[in-house]
Amino acid sequence: MEADAFNGPAGLALPGQQAGVEGGTSRAQRAGGPPLQDVAAIIRLQGLAKSYWRGSLEIPVLTGIDLDIPRGGYYALMGPSGSGKTTLLNLIAGIDRPTGGGLEVCGHTLNRLDDDELAGWRAQHVGFIFQNYNLIPVLNAYENVELPLLLSTLSRAQRRERVLEALHLVSLEDRMFNYPRQLSGGQEQRVAIARAIVHDPDLIVADEPTGALDAKNAEEVLILMEHLNQELGKTIVLVTHDPKSALHARVQIHLEKGVLDHTVEVHDRPRLAPILEPPPR
Amino acid sequence: MKFFHLILRSLLRSRRRTILTALFMAVSVFLVALLQSLLVTLNALSTSSSAAGASRFVVQDKASFTNVLPQSYANFLRAQPEIENLCGMQWFGGEYKDPKNFFANFAVDPEAYHVIFREECNLDAIPPEQVRDWIRDGNGCVVGQALADKFGWKLGDVVPLKSPIFNLTLRLNIRVIFKGMRKSDEMMLAFHLKQLQEGVPWMKGRVGMFTVRARSAEDIPRLCERIDRNFANSSPETLSLTENAFNLNMMKMLGDYAAMVHSVTIAVVLALVLVAANTMAMAIRERTAQISVMRAIGFTGGRVLSLLMAEGLLLSLVGSSLGIAAAVLAAKGAAMVAGELLPWLADFYITTETLLLCVLGTVVLGLLSTFVPAYRASRRPITEGLRAL
Repeated sequence: MEADAFNGPAGLALPGQQAGVEGGTSRAQRAGGPPLQDVAAIIRLQGLAKSYWRGSLEIPVLTGIDLDIPRGGYYALMGPSGSGKTTLLNLIAGIDRPTGGGLEVCGHTLNRLDDDELAGWRAQHVGFIFQNYNLIPVLNAYENVELPLLLSTLSRAQRRERVLEALHLVSLEDRMFNYPRQLSGGQEQRVAIARAIVHDPDLIVADEPTGALDAKNAEEVLILMEHLNQELGKTIVLVTHDPKSALHARVQIHLEKGVLDHTVEVHDRPRLAPILEPPPR
Repeated sequence: MKFFHLILRSLLRSRRRTILTALFMAVSVFLVALLQSLLVTLNALSTSSSAAGASRFVVQDKASFTNVLPQSYANFLRAQPEIENLCGMQWFGGEYKDPKNFFANFAVDPEAYHVIFREECNLDAIPPEQVRDWIRDGNGCVVGQALADKFGWKLGDVVPLKSPIFNLTLRLNIRVIFKGMRKSDEMMLAFHLKQLQEGVPWMKGRVGMFTVRARSAEDIPRLCERIDRNFANSSPETLSLTENAFNLNMMKMLGDYAAMVHSVTIAVVLALVLVAANTMAMAIRERTAQISVMRAIGFTGGRVLSLLMAEGLLLSLVGSSLGIAAAVLAAKGAAMVAGELLPWLADFYITTETLLLCVLGTVVLGLLSTFVPAYRASRRPITEGLRAL
């Protein structure tokens, strides 16, 4: 299941290239920004619930979450600690299972997939960005970015092409042989972003991606993610408790004690000049 | 194959720990391979299945083979129709120039000796005139080729041999140098029993034991029973036993060597399991978050388990290969160096069965010790693993 995920002809959905995302929005659409409600939902949550059990005691973390996120959307999940935002992100990313409700992401009802199918689904559809980068310390930048592609049947040459494209997009092709310990925090996170997009996923989930960065690097990472959304059409769900970071998203979802409290659309979100150019062939 | 570099890099994550664990495995395999091969060598020695060995038996003092028997007992033995020939023998324990120059040397009945041990010493291949010289020359002796090579002896050389047991020094003329079936057979010297009996008054008319060659191996149990019955209530009584049983008794002087070897092997294996299990558990536990990240990006639990097991397998193979290489070299060294001191070590080598057992055992132990932590890591909820950051 997981091995056949990336064999389509398209590489990364670079500007001017054939988009690798099924039903992906055009650059013009993204630039113009159609009303979100007009775009097909990539994430559909209906009465989603998640509880943990401590012995016989049920601890509800999320209750009755109803939410549609359109393809190409950039959503920020916000709320105080313990509000359930990371749990919700984990459910959307398919690394945790709900205890109730419906969860449909990228056309798949995740509740119905077994563990291996879910792993294959993640390999195909989801890119992860973590707060602490979570690069594999014994692999260099190139090898870290290549990691998701090892699950594909791509040839070594095809993998190399994809990895170089991804590293070019995050402007780190000159550091590809550096190990994580030889990179700054900002560079590590950019490698992590390259890893998250190298297999051309529909959805990127980011859990506090700037939490471990200084202000300058944090801003660079957020802008890079915004470019991924605007230029490559990636749907991004971001967890943050930093209002400044959330301003980069198009919609802010506020959670409170496991319940969806309110939604805020960011209207004055600036349009960015395109920077993601394909590498010279 | 595309995962090999990931496996290798993960294994070398903590180089010092990995190298030390591999070395520990190597030392364990080294010990087990040497000890088990030693056991095989000793067992082979005590259970020689050669046709010649099977048709021989030993008559010794019932109380101890260090006691002597009257040479006159030979008369009764010769009178038995099932007996082809017999040879009175006495361990001399002689030293050549220096006590460190130890080798087996016996006083024997020269005429019977080459008949009794004709296969082992290949005496039939020796020119008849040499055999004649050795029988005629009261100071003559026969030596094995390996022993002659060790001391640079050649035919006609005089070998001074001093026995602290009998407080006697003999000067022996080398009359025969034989090539044996095995190198260990060649690490010995035999001279005329008369020399000992004339030099040591209390040995007159006595021998340490009789090595007897029966016409048929099937007759031996009956012969042994008859001989011992005949000398029952005599002084001394006799104990007749097959050559293999005699060799086994000699080996048992070392103690219950098989139990000792097995005990050490078990202790080494247990230590190996504990160290390997602990190392792999540590190596996997400290990568909890990394493993969870891999699973998050799409590695299935089964694939993660396979990768971790492959690490354990690779470590085991490296460790066991190093250990086996060292054991093979050490066995060759032992056969060359110690073989001169202990003749039975001259044939010492690591058997193929032992090699396979060690490789298979280490691989199984490596996989077993990896399986539990690897399985747990592959089944741990991803969200829980990510929190381990």
